[in-house]
Amino acid sequence: MDQTGIKIEDLHLSFGETQVLRGVNLDIRPGEFFAFLGPSGSGKSTLLRAIAGFGPTPQGRILIGDRDVVGLDPWKRNVGMVFQSYALWPHMSVRDNVGFGLRERRVPAKQIRDRVDAALDLVGLAHLADRMPNQLSGGQQQRIALARTVVVEPEVLLLDEPLSNLDASLRVQMRRELLHLQRKLGLTTIFVTHDQEEANTTSDRMAVLDGGVIQQIGTPQELYDRPANLFVANFLGTANIFEGRVEIDGDVARFHTKTGEVLTIPASGNLDGSNVVLRPQNISMTQAPEQDALKGEVLHREFLGSQIRYLVKVAGAEIVVDQSHSAGRDWFDPGAQVHLVANTSSAVIL
Amino acid sequence: MNLKHLFFSSLAATALAGGTAVAEGSITVITSFPDSMTGPIEAAFEAAHPEYDLEVLNKKTSAGVKYIQEIASDNTADIFWASAPDAFEVLKSDGMLDQVQIASEGIPDMIGAYPLNDPDGYYFGFAGAGYGIMWNERYLKANDLEPAREWAELADPKYHGHVGMSAPSRSGTTHLTVETVLQGDGWDDGWAKWKWIAGNFSTVTERSFGVPDGVNTGSFGLGIVIDFFGFSSKASGFPVDFAYPTITALVPANVAVVKNAPNQQGAIAFVEFLLTPEGQSVLLDPAIMRLPVNPASYANAPEGFPNPFEDSTIGASVKFDVEKSGARYNLVNSMFDVMITYRLDDLRSAVNAIQKAEMKHADGDNAEAKALIAEARGLIEANPIDEATSLDPDFAAIFTKKRRTASDTVEGRQAEVEQEWDAMVVENYRRARELAEQAAAL
Amino acid sequence: MPSTNRSTPGVSAGIADRLPKWLVPNLSGLNMVALFIALLLIGLLLVPVAQVMIVAFQDPATGAATLQNFLDFFRTSLFRESFWNSFYVSAMSVVVATAIALPLAYITTRFHFAGSVLIQSLGFIPLIMPPFVGAVAMQLIFGRNGTVNLLLRDYLGFDIPFMEGLNGVILVQSIHYFPFILINLSASLRNIDRSMEEAAQNLGSHGMRLFRRIVFPLAMPGYIAGAALVFIKVFDDLGTPLLLNVNNMLAPQAYLRISSIGISDPMGYVISVILVVFSVLSLWASFLFMRGKDYATVQKGGGGMAKRNLKPAEKMLAYGVVIFILLLVLTPHIGLTLLSFGTIWSFAPLPDGYTLQNYVTMWEGSKSFIMNTLLYAGIAATADVILGTAIAYIVLRTNIFGRKGLDYLATAALAVPGVVLGIGYLRTFHSVDVPFVGEPLASWWVVIALALMIRRLPYALRACMAALQQVSLALEEAAESLGATKKRTIYKIVVPLMKGGLLAGFVTSFATAAVELSATIMLVSSNQDAPLAYGIYLFMQTPSGRGAGAALGVVAVLLVAAGTLASQVIIERDKKAKASADMH
Repeated sequence: MDQTGIKIEDLHLSFGETQVLRGVNLDIRPGEFFAFLGPSGSGKSTLLRAIAGFGPTPQGRILIGDRDVVGLDPWKRNVGMVFQSYALWPHMSVRDNVGFGLRERRVPAKQIRDRVDAALDLVGLAHLADRMPNQLSGGQQQRIALARTVVVEPEVLLLDEPLSNLDASLRVQMRRELLHLQRKLGLTTIFVTHDQEEANTTSDRMAVLDGGVIQQIGTPQELYDRPANLFVANFLGTANIFEGRVEIDGDVARFHTKTGEVLTIPASGNLDGSNVVLRPQNISMTQAPEQDALKGEVLHREFLGSQIRYLVKVAGAEIVVDQSHSAGRDWFDPGAQVHLVANTSSAVIL
Repeated sequence: MNLKHLFFSSLAATALAGGTAVAEGSITVITSFPDSMTGPIEAAFEAAHPEYDLEVLNKKTSAGVKYIQEIASDNTADIFWASAPDAFEVLKSDGMLDQVQIASEGIPDMIGAYPLNDPDGYYFGFAGAGYGIMWNERYLKANDLEPAREWAELADPKYHGHVGMSAPSRSGTTHLTVETVLQGDGWDDGWAKWKWIAGNFSTVTERSFGVPDGVNTGSFGLGIVIDFFGFSSKASGFPVDFAYPTITALVPANVAVVKNAPNQQGAIAFVEFLLTPEGQSVLLDPAIMRLPVNPASYANAPEGFPNPFEDSTIGASVKFDVEKSGARYNLVNSMFDVMITYRLDDLRSAVNAIQKAEMKHADGDNAEAKALIAEARGLIEANPIDEATSLDPDFAAIFTKKRRTASDTVEGRQAEVEQEWDAMVVENYRRARELAEQAAAL
Repeated sequence: MPSTNRSTPGVSAGIADRLPKWLVPNLSGLNMVALFIALLLIGLLLVPVAQVMIVAFQDPATGAATLQNFLDFFRTSLFRESFWNSFYVSAMSVVVATAIALPLAYITTRFHFAGSVLIQSLGFIPLIMPPFVGAVAMQLIFGRNGTVNLLLRDYLGFDIPFMEGLNGVILVQSIHYFPFILINLSASLRNIDRSMEEAAQNLGSHGMRLFRRIVFPLAMPGYIAGAALVFIKVFDDLGTPLLLNVNNMLAPQAYLRISSIGISDPMGYVISVILVVFSVLSLWASFLFMRGKDYATVQKGGGGMAKRNLKPAEKMLAYGVVIFILLLVLTPHIGLTLLSFGTIWSFAPLPDGYTLQNYVTMWEGSKSFIMNTLLYAGIAATADVILGTAIAYIVLRTNIFGRKGLDYLATAALAVPGVVLGIGYLRTFHSVDVPFVGEPLASWWVVIALALMIRRLPYALRACMAALQQVSLALEEAAESLGATKKRTIYKIVVPLMKGGLLAGFVTSFATAAVELSATIMLVSSNQDAPLAYGIYLFMQTPSGRGAGAALGVVAVLLVAAGTLASQVIIERDKKAKASADMH
């Protein structure tokens, strides 16, 4: 199958006075599973809908393959979209739902039958062909919606929060199925989600959006380990952020926080910035004083299974610290006096 | 009447009395006349007799009769005031009316061929009304037509689709007109005349007012209406006029004092006022326009207003037989509806076909066509029953039966009879049209 | 709620507790309310209608039970024809009403279109004019010698028989009743999740195909609800065919027979039975069709229909269509207004001159009509909303035995022609005296309000049901968990949350009751008890009163429109308040 890439150039879009997308640039490679991640209102769904042709006409270019689709009616784009609500038509049977796009394309009836059967087979629901949508469970509806979209062999597949209406265990299973299906079909796919775990587990690369602007593009690891800005750092996982300044002393870089702590940081990375980001798992916590340790008091403790998360008050700041947990290991109670040591090799200056 | 009823009625009477300023001066009038008529008369009466206060209770004639019968044991009504003489006959025979002496001057005994007052003095005619033809001047001009002044003229082909009339089953006065023609021309000729006229109908209106309304707005050009509708339309400024045909009946509208009237004196004063020149002149109010019964009042009438006391041709040619009319009242209504109202489309197209055929063979040279047309005309004119049957009380009873008790029985069902008639009429009209079309093709 | 009667110790050890249990049936307040409503509906709807229907099953000669009358009905060609005509007129009215309502609903719900709100409000106006008044005005404009045909004949040499025979009935009825379709269809269209439509576009569908295959089928429940209402209303309506002098339909036949021949001819009653049965069947069929098709509640996800911007050419076309339709449906109002300001209007495209005299005449003679209307329609609509809320609550939130029956019974009032109800009331209540009034109930003015209340209950009930369905059960449970009694929960939580819907129900009941004539014409016993519609009718029965009648008609329309608009504003504000509450 020919795979199609998507290129977005300087895309602007507004709803009336409200600017929703402000200069989006993006290059999605053919066959890639790409995620748009961002909080609600970040413009990720709007961007997806703009690719599909819904909503106000944007300024800029959206290239699907080499075709600029801006201003093109949605029904002329051959872009497959799966909606958050699945949007199965309640007045049509499963078979009619799945066959709809083929009928619109004037495919002969015999072929429609075969292709619908194949698509239903693909999602493993061939036996439900004659049901009505309201007789299906959420997961089944999700699969039918997917079958309905892929049966027309779109150039790209757009998934708008496809898992948000499923319960937790089903969500995990479905995201694997989705990925499996995508790999099998080799379809260039964009997946919109506000759930970083979903984005992390499925996507080859992802874009984090906020305020209508792409904050960072990269693989999940890149974004987590090397966030480009505070927003990304905060949005992906939990981060301790200290304001202050970097001082370079020969080959040693030190970060002086406003509250007076000093952290030695690797001099090899970016040193231009006034914040330092420390992930909770990169801070260790002991009762005994250690060198360079920050003294603090445990305020709060949460048991997360594999980890225990502490909120520790240090001088003027509160720091989140994750300690891995295994059976028999001691923990600190709120009020305990502790010492924190940062593994600053993973610290990021922003 | 039980005690409870008595108690509540008197309670209501007290409440009513308490609500009006001068209790002894209040006169309660039960009437079927519209506000537009009672209003000016009430105003004139109260102006002439400030000591009295007129309380008007508007009820349909039949409901008014019923009302007076219901409250008889503790009567609160003083005056019954309506058109239909038969309603007064009913009340009179039930002993609900008072025989009073009314002082009046210059009122003749007859209007047209109809006696004005009850010979026994129970009720009094205060105005006259008769049926005639009303037309819209603009409409006729636009269609290049002359007004028709006789019933027979309305059957002329040039009026095809231009005539409107109400159904006798819907309007007592229309029934009177239908019956007048049946009596004036005879049963068969009378019905034939109605059917030929009906062949020119634009519509049969459901309400009697639908006819003057239609003429006023110009929906159709000519209408068969009661005179005061014509006069008051004209007086309201509509471009319409009215004429009495030779065969018409003038009937009085009446007023009576109710027996045991709480305010008998006031009641008499009201009746007397109606008959004074003053009271009579109110009848010429543009919204009323009924024929006064006091010949002197015509002095003030507008130009062209007819005066039956001078023009003896109005309503004089038919001696209206009330008994005959009463005996077949419902039957005539039903026949009119079956033959005309409900089958107007069939009748109209048959008559139109005949009119066209006659037009084509106006010279009368083609014998075959003439025969076909004659046969077609015969089919239109055929009646399902003859006059003798119409007057057969057993047959008429099918249409009037009233079951008072469970043991009463009546033979035959109206629906059955009407279906027979309907089948005959529909077939005749269809066949007549066919024949006329054959004739026209010759 | 069998436990409600158990009083808390120490709070009230009333007499009921000391009496043996069997003396005090274990009925809660709600049970009592349900019982009361049931009795009310039986007394004011079932019994009177049965009184009318029973005559149809009696041998006119002997009074014995028989089906002969029905045989006669089907054997009589006139009745068969009338039945067919009624059916034809109703079906065609649905078609024409759809042709009017569909573009309006589609354009206003699917596109960014300036004036959508105005169109939706104007679309409601035809409902609040008595149909017979509309017919008078329509005759003046579209009649054989009305404005349009006079002009056509003068300038183009032909005319169009808009108002001839059944055509006239169809035209007047569709213009009067199309708002039922407009309102229901618009609501349905708005409730369609926009992703339903986008999914189809995404798969290559657009334009008419998209509308035909996706949008319209999804709006079908609303459409069917509206269309069924139009069908039944037209099938039962009496005033319009009578005023247009069309006799060969069922309702006029029933009326003509009952009012001119009386009880001795059972055919009028047979026709009444057939009207009622046929209407109930139509209602039932529409319910059957809609069962399981309430798509709005199945759909998840946010947002109604996606509104699209129109291209300039499309915009021109849309405005053209909308203006044409609005002109058409407002013809009765335009005609009425001209008539009310006109001097003489006879065989001419427009009145001869203009005057204010008609309003003066009208004002002098009709204050009581206006007051009566406000009183009757006010009582009827208030009672409807109270009954509607109670029935809705009982049906949706309790498991009282026979609660569905209440719903069906109240809704069945839709299927009872006004004339039948009017005759039934006369029959039933003529011998019932009202204490302290000394009149039979049948001629007491309150009976008019009661008839209006029963006739409009179905509208209010639907509105209340819809309003209650939108109040989440959780909100009630929250109140109860905080210690509120059932009664206080209903009073403090449920009713306030239903406010918008209740108001909508009140307005629909009030507005349509204010212009009702078919039942009231049978029940008005004296002019001082007469409501507006009857007053217009009286005015229009004299040549000089046409203008004044029209003036009163204009006042009626303005009065009801003002009320409707005011409550619309309140409903909108309420909606906005709720919407903003949802956001935060």
